[in-house]
Amino acid sequence: MENKNNPLSPHLQIYRWEISSLLSIAHRIVGVLNIIVISLICIWVILLSISEPSYEVINFFMKSFFGKFFALGLSWTFSFHILNEIRHLSWDLGYGFDLKVSKITGYLSIVGSFVFAVMIFLIGRQIL
Amino acid sequence: MNISTKKWLFLKYSSALLLPLMAWFIINFVSIYDSSYEVVFEFFSRQPSKILFLLFIVFAFFFSSLTISEIFEDYIHDEKIKNVANKVLYLFAIMIPLITTISVLI
Repeated sequence: MENKNNPLSPHLQIYRWEISSLLSIAHRIVGVLNIIVISLICIWVILLSISEPSYEVINFFMKSFFGKFFALGLSWTFSFHILNEIRHLSWDLGYGFDLKVSKITGYLSIVGSFVFAVMIFLIGRQIL
Repeated sequence: MNISTKKWLFLKYSSALLLPLMAWFIINFVSIYDSSYEVVFEFFSRQPSKILFLLFIVFAFFFSSLTISEIFEDYIHDEKIKNVANKVLYLFAIMIPLITTISVLI
Protein backbone atom coordinates (compact mmCIF):
# COMPACT_ATOMS: atom_id res chain seq x y z
CA MET A 1 0.00 0.00 0.00
CA GLU A 2 2.53 2.63 1.08
CA ASN A 3 5.52 0.73 -0.28
CA LYS A 4 6.02 1.74 -3.91
CA ASN A 5 8.08 -1.41 -4.57
CA ASN A 6 5.30 -3.86 -3.80
CA PRO A 7 5.30 -6.70 -6.35
CA LEU A 8 2.20 -7.08 -8.51
CA SER A 9 0.06 -10.18 -8.10
CA PRO A 10 0.71 -12.88 -10.68
CA HIS A 11 -1.88 -12.72 -13.45
CA LEU A 12 -4.84 -15.06 -13.12
CA GLN A 13 -3.90 -17.44 -15.92
CA ILE A 14 -0.71 -18.44 -14.05
CA TYR A 15 -2.65 -20.35 -11.37
CA ARG A 16 -3.66 -23.98 -11.48
CA TRP A 17 -7.33 -23.87 -10.58
CA GLU A 18 -8.08 -25.00 -7.03
CA ILE A 19 -11.16 -24.43 -4.88
CA SER A 20 -9.24 -21.80 -2.85
CA SER A 21 -8.12 -19.74 -5.86
CA LEU A 22 -11.50 -20.12 -7.56
CA LEU A 23 -13.29 -18.79 -4.46
CA SER A 24 -10.78 -15.98 -3.94
CA ILE A 25 -11.20 -14.71 -7.51
CA ALA A 26 -14.97 -15.28 -7.47
CA HIS A 27 -15.20 -13.37 -4.17
CA ARG A 28 -13.56 -10.32 -5.75
CA ILE A 29 -15.64 -10.49 -8.94
CA VAL A 30 -18.88 -10.93 -6.96
CA GLY A 31 -17.87 -8.05 -4.66
CA VAL A 32 -17.40 -5.72 -7.64
CA LEU A 33 -20.70 -6.92 -9.19
CA ASN A 34 -22.48 -6.28 -5.89
CA ILE A 35 -21.30 -2.68 -5.62
CA ILE A 36 -22.33 -2.02 -9.25
CA VAL A 37 -25.80 -3.39 -8.46
CA ILE A 38 -25.97 -1.45 -5.16
CA SER A 39 -25.18 1.70 -7.21
CA LEU A 40 -28.11 0.85 -9.51
CA ILE A 41 -30.33 0.37 -6.45
CA CYS A 42 -29.23 3.82 -5.23
CA ILE A 43 -30.33 5.25 -8.59
CA TRP A 44 -33.65 3.38 -8.15
CA VAL A 45 -34.09 5.06 -4.73
CA ILE A 46 -33.11 8.49 -6.11
CA LEU A 47 -35.70 8.11 -8.92
CA LEU A 48 -38.24 7.08 -6.28
CA SER A 49 -37.64 10.33 -4.42
CA ILE A 50 -37.93 12.45 -7.59
CA SER A 51 -41.41 11.45 -8.77
CA GLU A 52 -43.73 8.54 -9.51
CA PRO A 53 -43.31 8.68 -13.34
CA SER A 54 -39.50 8.47 -13.03
CA TYR A 55 -39.87 5.48 -10.67
CA GLU A 56 -42.21 3.75 -13.16
CA VAL A 57 -39.40 3.71 -15.77
CA ILE A 58 -37.44 1.23 -13.63
CA ASN A 59 -40.53 -0.49 -12.22
CA PHE A 60 -41.47 -1.55 -15.76
CA PHE A 61 -38.19 -3.51 -15.91
CA MET A 62 -38.52 -4.80 -12.33
CA LYS A 63 -41.98 -6.25 -13.02
CA SER A 64 -40.75 -8.21 -16.03
CA PHE A 65 -39.01 -11.60 -16.15
CA PHE A 66 -35.66 -9.78 -16.07
CA GLY A 67 -36.63 -8.16 -12.76
CA LYS A 68 -37.20 -11.59 -11.23
CA PHE A 69 -33.89 -12.82 -12.68
CA PHE A 70 -32.19 -9.68 -11.28
CA ALA A 71 -33.64 -10.24 -7.76
CA LEU A 72 -32.77 -13.95 -7.76
CA GLY A 73 -29.27 -13.24 -9.11
CA LEU A 74 -28.71 -10.60 -6.46
CA SER A 75 -29.87 -13.06 -3.79
CA TRP A 76 -27.13 -15.43 -4.96
CA THR A 77 -24.34 -12.82 -5.18
CA PHE A 78 -25.24 -11.50 -1.70
CA SER A 79 -25.44 -15.04 -0.26
CA PHE A 80 -22.11 -16.00 -1.79
CA HIS A 81 -20.47 -12.81 -0.54
CA ILE A 82 -21.89 -13.20 2.99
CA LEU A 83 -20.82 -16.85 3.33
CA ASN A 84 -17.37 -16.29 1.85
CA GLU A 85 -16.84 -13.18 3.99
CA ILE A 86 -17.71 -15.19 7.13
CA ARG A 87 -15.04 -17.69 5.98
CA HIS A 88 -12.51 -14.84 5.61
CA LEU A 89 -13.40 -13.35 9.00
CA SER A 90 -12.99 -16.74 10.69
CA TRP A 91 -9.51 -17.02 9.11
CA ASP A 92 -8.72 -13.55 10.49
CA LEU A 93 -9.67 -14.83 13.95
CA GLY A 94 -7.34 -17.79 13.44
CA TYR A 95 -9.88 -20.53 12.67
CA GLY A 96 -10.24 -22.81 9.65
CA PHE A 97 -6.70 -22.55 8.24
CA ASP A 98 -6.24 -26.32 8.02
CA LEU A 99 -6.17 -27.32 4.33
CA LYS A 100 -8.91 -29.93 4.71
CA VAL A 101 -11.17 -27.57 6.73
CA SER A 102 -10.48 -24.77 4.26
CA LYS A 103 -11.57 -26.99 1.34
CA ILE A 104 -14.71 -28.12 3.17
CA THR A 105 -15.73 -24.52 4.05
CA GLY A 106 -15.01 -23.56 0.44
CA TYR A 107 -17.42 -26.18 -0.91
CA LEU A 108 -19.93 -25.24 1.81
CA SER A 109 -19.76 -21.60 0.66
CA ILE A 110 -20.59 -22.59 -2.91
CA VAL A 111 -23.41 -25.02 -2.11
CA GLY A 112 -24.70 -22.85 0.75
CA SER A 113 -24.85 -19.76 -1.46
CA PHE A 114 -27.33 -21.47 -3.81
CA VAL A 115 -29.41 -22.82 -0.89
CA PHE A 116 -29.42 -19.41 0.83
CA ALA A 117 -30.29 -17.61 -2.43
CA VAL A 118 -33.39 -19.77 -2.93
CA MET A 119 -34.34 -19.41 0.76
CA ILE A 120 -33.94 -15.61 0.65
CA PHE A 121 -36.08 -15.44 -2.47
CA LEU A 122 -38.80 -17.65 -0.98
CA ILE A 123 -38.78 -15.78 2.36
CA GLY A 124 -38.78 -12.40 0.59
CA ARG A 125 -41.71 -13.41 -1.63
CA GLN A 126 -43.46 -14.82 1.47
CA ILE A 127 -43.69 -18.26 -0.16
CA LEU A 128 -41.78 -19.89 2.73
CA MET B 1 -0.14 2.20 13.85
CA ASN B 2 0.91 1.59 10.24
CA ILE B 3 -1.56 2.96 7.65
CA SER B 4 -1.86 -0.49 6.02
CA THR B 5 -2.77 -2.04 9.39
CA LYS B 6 -5.40 0.68 9.92
CA LYS B 7 -6.80 0.05 6.46
CA TRP B 8 -6.97 -3.70 7.14
CA LEU B 9 -8.74 -3.13 10.48
CA PHE B 10 -11.27 -0.73 8.88
CA LEU B 11 -11.87 -3.35 6.19
CA LYS B 12 -12.55 -6.10 8.74
CA TYR B 13 -14.75 -4.00 11.06
CA SER B 14 -16.82 -2.67 8.16
CA SER B 15 -17.12 -6.21 6.77
CA ALA B 16 -18.45 -7.54 10.12
CA LEU B 17 -20.99 -4.68 10.29
CA LEU B 18 -21.98 -5.06 6.66
CA LEU B 19 -22.91 -8.77 6.80
CA PRO B 20 -26.15 -8.45 8.86
CA LEU B 21 -27.10 -5.32 6.89
CA MET B 22 -26.66 -7.23 3.60
CA ALA B 23 -28.86 -10.07 4.86
CA TRP B 24 -31.53 -7.60 6.05
CA PHE B 25 -31.46 -5.64 2.79
CA ILE B 26 -31.62 -8.56 0.35
CA ILE B 27 -34.62 -10.16 2.09
CA ASN B 28 -36.48 -6.83 2.04
CA PHE B 29 -35.40 -5.98 -1.50
CA VAL B 30 -36.76 -9.30 -2.80
CA SER B 31 -40.09 -8.56 -1.09
CA ILE B 32 -40.52 -5.06 -2.62
CA TYR B 33 -38.51 -4.91 -5.88
CA ASP B 34 -41.59 -5.15 -8.14
CA SER B 35 -44.04 -3.35 -5.86
CA SER B 36 -45.96 -0.18 -6.60
CA TYR B 37 -44.58 3.31 -6.03
CA GLU B 38 -46.60 3.72 -2.81
CA VAL B 39 -45.32 0.48 -1.26
CA VAL B 40 -41.65 1.14 -2.07
CA PHE B 41 -41.92 4.81 -1.05
CA GLU B 42 -43.47 3.79 2.27
CA PHE B 43 -40.66 1.26 2.85
CA PHE B 44 -37.92 3.87 2.42
CA SER B 45 -39.86 6.48 4.43
CA ARG B 46 -40.49 4.53 7.62
CA GLN B 47 -38.15 3.54 10.41
CA PRO B 48 -36.13 1.38 10.95
CA SER B 49 -35.84 0.59 7.21
CA LYS B 50 -34.76 4.17 6.38
CA ILE B 51 -31.83 4.23 8.81
CA LEU B 52 -30.84 0.59 8.11
CA PHE B 53 -30.79 1.24 4.35
CA LEU B 54 -28.63 4.34 4.79
CA LEU B 55 -26.22 2.45 7.08
CA PHE B 56 -26.15 -0.38 4.53
CA ILE B 57 -25.13 1.83 1.61
CA VAL B 58 -22.58 3.82 3.64
CA PHE B 59 -20.85 0.64 4.86
CA ALA B 60 -21.18 -1.04 1.46
CA PHE B 61 -19.43 1.82 -0.35
CA PHE B 62 -16.83 2.24 2.40
CA PHE B 63 -16.00 -1.50 2.35
CA SER B 64 -16.05 -1.70 -1.45
CA SER B 65 -13.76 1.29 -1.94
CA LEU B 66 -11.18 -0.32 0.36
CA THR B 67 -11.41 -3.74 -1.33
CA ILE B 68 -11.38 -2.35 -4.88
CA SER B 69 -8.34 -0.21 -4.05
CA GLU B 70 -6.67 -3.49 -2.99
CA ILE B 71 -7.47 -4.91 -6.45
CA PHE B 72 -5.89 -1.80 -8.03
CA GLU B 73 -2.85 -2.31 -5.79
CA ASP B 74 -2.54 -5.92 -6.95
CA TYR B 75 -2.99 -5.42 -10.68
CA ILE B 76 -2.16 -1.83 -11.73
CA HIS B 77 1.55 -1.23 -12.11
CA ASP B 78 1.55 2.40 -13.30
CA GLU B 79 1.45 4.71 -10.23
CA LYS B 80 -0.27 7.56 -12.10
CA ILE B 81 -3.07 5.35 -13.40
CA LYS B 82 -3.43 3.76 -9.97
CA ASN B 83 -3.73 7.17 -8.28
CA VAL B 84 -6.34 8.38 -10.77
CA ALA B 85 -8.29 5.10 -10.44
CA ASN B 86 -8.24 5.41 -6.63
CA LYS B 87 -9.38 9.05 -6.72
CA VAL B 88 -12.27 8.24 -9.08
CA LEU B 89 -13.18 5.28 -6.85
CA TYR B 90 -13.18 7.37 -3.63
CA LEU B 91 -15.17 10.18 -5.29
CA PHE B 92 -17.74 7.64 -6.47
CA ALA B 93 -17.85 6.02 -3.00
CA ILE B 94 -18.62 9.41 -1.41
CA MET B 95 -20.99 10.90 -4.00
CA ILE B 96 -23.39 7.97 -4.53
CA PRO B 97 -24.18 7.41 -0.81
CA LEU B 98 -24.33 11.17 -0.24
CA ILE B 99 -26.87 11.80 -3.02
CA THR B 100 -28.88 8.74 -1.97
CA THR B 101 -28.87 9.86 1.67
CA ILE B 102 -30.10 13.33 0.72
CA SER B 103 -32.86 11.90 -1.49
CA VAL B 104 -34.02 9.51 1.27
CA LEU B 105 -33.96 12.14 4.00
CA ILE B 106 -35.71 14.92 2.06
